[in-house]
Amino acid sequence: MYNLDNNTILEIKNLCMSFGGLKAVNDLSFDIRKNEIVGLIGPNGAGKTTVFNCITQFYQDKEGTILFRNKEDEIVNLNEVHVSHVINEGLVRTFQNVELVSDLPIIDNLLIGAHSLYKTGIVSHVLHTKKSKQEEIFFREKADEILEFMGIKAIKEQLAGGQPYGILKKIGIARTLMSNPRLIILDEPAAGLNEQETNELSDLIISIKDNYKCSILLVEHDMGFVMQVCDRICAISFGKFLAMDTPEKIKSNPIVQEAYLGKDDD
Amino acid sequence: MKTKILNTISLFFKPIIKVLKMYKNKLEKSMHQRFVLFGILLALVPLLSNLDIIRYSTVSLVAYIVIFTIVALGLNILLGFSGLMSLGTAGFVGFGAYGVVYFSSLGLPYEISILATLIISSIIGLFIGLFSLKVEGVYLAISTLAVGEIFSQIFRRVTWFTNAFGGVHYKYPLLFGVVQLNRNTTFILLVIMMVLMMFVMYNLTNSKTGRALMAMSRSNSSAQAMGVSISKYRLLAFLIATLYATIGGILYASFYRYVQPLDWNLMLTLLILAMVVVGGIKSIFGTFIGVFVIYGVPSLWLEELFSSINGVAYIFSGVLIIVVIMYYPYGFIYVIQDTKKLYHKFKNGIENRKNKKKNKVENNV
Amino acid sequence: MSVFISLILRSLETGSVYALAALGVVLIYRTSKTTNFAQGSIGTLNAFVAATILVKWGWSIWAVVPVAMVTAIITGFIIDTIFIRPASKVGPTGKQIITLGLIIVIIGIIPWIFGVEPIPMPQFFEFTEANRINFLGAVIGFNAIFVIGVSIFLMTALFWFLKYTDWGLAIRVTASNEVASKLMGVPTKTVTLMSWATAATFGTLAAIIVAPQTAVDINMMNDIQINAFFACTLGGFQTFYGPVLGAYIIAMSKNLTSYYITSTWSTTLVYVIIMIFLFFKPVGLVGKKFVKKV
Repeated sequence: MYNLDNNTILEIKNLCMSFGGLKAVNDLSFDIRKNEIVGLIGPNGAGKTTVFNCITQFYQDKEGTILFRNKEDEIVNLNEVHVSHVINEGLVRTFQNVELVSDLPIIDNLLIGAHSLYKTGIVSHVLHTKKSKQEEIFFREKADEILEFMGIKAIKEQLAGGQPYGILKKIGIARTLMSNPRLIILDEPAAGLNEQETNELSDLIISIKDNYKCSILLVEHDMGFVMQVCDRICAISFGKFLAMDTPEKIKSNPIVQEAYLGKDDD
Repeated sequence: MKTKILNTISLFFKPIIKVLKMYKNKLEKSMHQRFVLFGILLALVPLLSNLDIIRYSTVSLVAYIVIFTIVALGLNILLGFSGLMSLGTAGFVGFGAYGVVYFSSLGLPYEISILATLIISSIIGLFIGLFSLKVEGVYLAISTLAVGEIFSQIFRRVTWFTNAFGGVHYKYPLLFGVVQLNRNTTFILLVIMMVLMMFVMYNLTNSKTGRALMAMSRSNSSAQAMGVSISKYRLLAFLIATLYATIGGILYASFYRYVQPLDWNLMLTLLILAMVVVGGIKSIFGTFIGVFVIYGVPSLWLEELFSSINGVAYIFSGVLIIVVIMYYPYGFIYVIQDTKKLYHKFKNGIENRKNKKKNKVENNV
Repeated sequence: MSVFISLILRSLETGSVYALAALGVVLIYRTSKTTNFAQGSIGTLNAFVAATILVKWGWSIWAVVPVAMVTAIITGFIIDTIFIRPASKVGPTGKQIITLGLIIVIIGIIPWIFGVEPIPMPQFFEFTEANRINFLGAVIGFNAIFVIGVSIFLMTALFWFLKYTDWGLAIRVTASNEVASKLMGVPTKTVTLMSWATAATFGTLAAIIVAPQTAVDINMMNDIQINAFFACTLGGFQTFYGPVLGAYIIAMSKNLTSYYITSTWSTTLVYVIIMIFLFFKPVGLVGKKFVKKV
């Protein structure tokens, strides 16, 4: 079977992904530890989104292994897991466009995040059984707690449509917490936020790590934000691994600097 | 002096208003009660007909509206909640009608005929669901149109099933082998079924299942990331729409007792689609309103007023549909919601002015 | 052998009609982003205009066709300006319902203006002894040759127009991405006007060609309309020539199946085969599959 170091929850080994003739991800390997915030950075076109979609199984036809320590503390190879079952293992992601259901209240959007945890089925719902009513109450209370934690409980009955972008992103993150995740992958969480919102976001992400005892992988462009929030940063370029280290070391890493700024023509 | 009189009058009315408000709150809390109340009101229609308050033919008209409300509700679940289109709906309604008649003609009791028809219909519906896993968008929609057309061909040619252009005759249902229904009681059966289908739809859509359908409609990827299995829920959506349409067809045969092949065509499907969109996407009562507007209004009023000019009823319906969609793309029911909001604004406006006046008076004293 | 040739010839004729109608559908689909269910009705309406003038004022078929073309263009302009353009914020489903509303309105207008009786319509060339030729053992009338010829000419003209003229480029660009086109200064309003006018004229021509078979009446385009949609689905909505290809294939398949396999179930068989084909190639004959970017 599969084996992982006790402290590791995600290990990507030799990941390769091509589109037609173009190698988007080229033999990439890195790991994420328990209770850690990791940032994935790279210049535009580096392949961050592709890595992301590979981990979450939205892309097939990839090579390599993606080992994950799931909710039951078993080691699974995510490549063997169907995209709609990834959340069952304890890995959940956000979307840049957030993609909530606009016609539903915010709290109902959160309940969608708990979809994988519900035990009642279609028939129970149609018959409005006691069990389904109880489950509904249980998850609504859980949603209340999370909304409180995120500071948006007051507007929970408002429709998700029409909310400002900052709130939408918060709802997106709140939704991931509903499924008791071990690892949350955030897709450019700071995109479109101003400086104040970005600082709030850093605090929020760190407090999520502390309160919900999970790890977080974020894919991001905003360097300042990434340096602030991450325990370790993995830098890639043209689909290839450059370096993985603490923010300070990455900042001063010459290979990383070159990839971002180009070689000095001295 | 005037204020004193007004005050005493309002003192008198306050408790009455309080009681009414209490009851209104209770009613608002339970949509189920609303559905039942609505059903009871509709069930009075045959009674009114017996008392000669409304015409015999109006009962027939209302029956048509009830039947197609059921069909349209199914399409609403498919389109409004799940974001999937079917252009073959009329075919399934026709199949329901012919099916129950056919199985009864084999000697099977009413309930078994219904079951057999539903089972076969579901299988076909599930096939479409499976098909939808590979084929999407307009290609899927036109494929459902093809299914509808195939149904139409079957209705016109498979004589042992449908008697082709001769049509088939049926009788009012015999329930449980003992209770023989007549026109009025069949009508009540129709209403009961409609209320039941409303219950089912309400429970379904306000649950985890309903939310999963809506998530799928919004974005396949986002839904999958939340654990929603697209295959399962697409199949479910098509299955439900199929069942609702088939039940509508079964009830059609049970009430009108005559089924013929030319009725079940693309035009009917498009009208049902209009009923959903004009009435209210995702709205249960809205769907009823949609059916009423698309079918009821032209039939009830216009043939009386404009019987000399052919086709005016159609022009009216067509224009109405276009106008509603252009200004209320989500349906007529939202006109009502907007009106309610306006009313509340108006009320609040008056309240605010009253309070301002009160404050002024108090400050001056 | 001569039967086979005659079937092919007949398929070319039917296919041309389907192709004209299908081009109208795909043109609207790609520029106004909606399935135009009223395609057939628009053709029927203008065919009624032609037929009425022909019967009431005794004009020849050659004279009324241009008139019908003009009224078709006007119809197209009116529909786009009054109904489709203002509804740009409505989703595609809503626009479909608007086209349905149009069908209903037209169904109401026709008896109001033209009465309830079907109006007979002559062919371009009567199928007399003089008006036919022998081709590889099969007989084909001048009318059929004319129909096929004119259709192919018009479609080729359209394709040439789309490929080599500025307006053609404008149409293709709008069809590809309307928002970007607008931002680049493409006159998308005029493009949709032109699309609707063209679709209306093609639909009307199809109706006039078909009318002699059954007389001009309200339901005469129903069958063609549906086949136009299938042609677009089979050929793919992503190109303009795909639906034309689909149209001829459908006409051919229907005729061949009807003669060689079963005449009652030929239509059903063809539809089933189309669906099976779609299952394996979900974007039509010449469609390209998009890799979804998440």
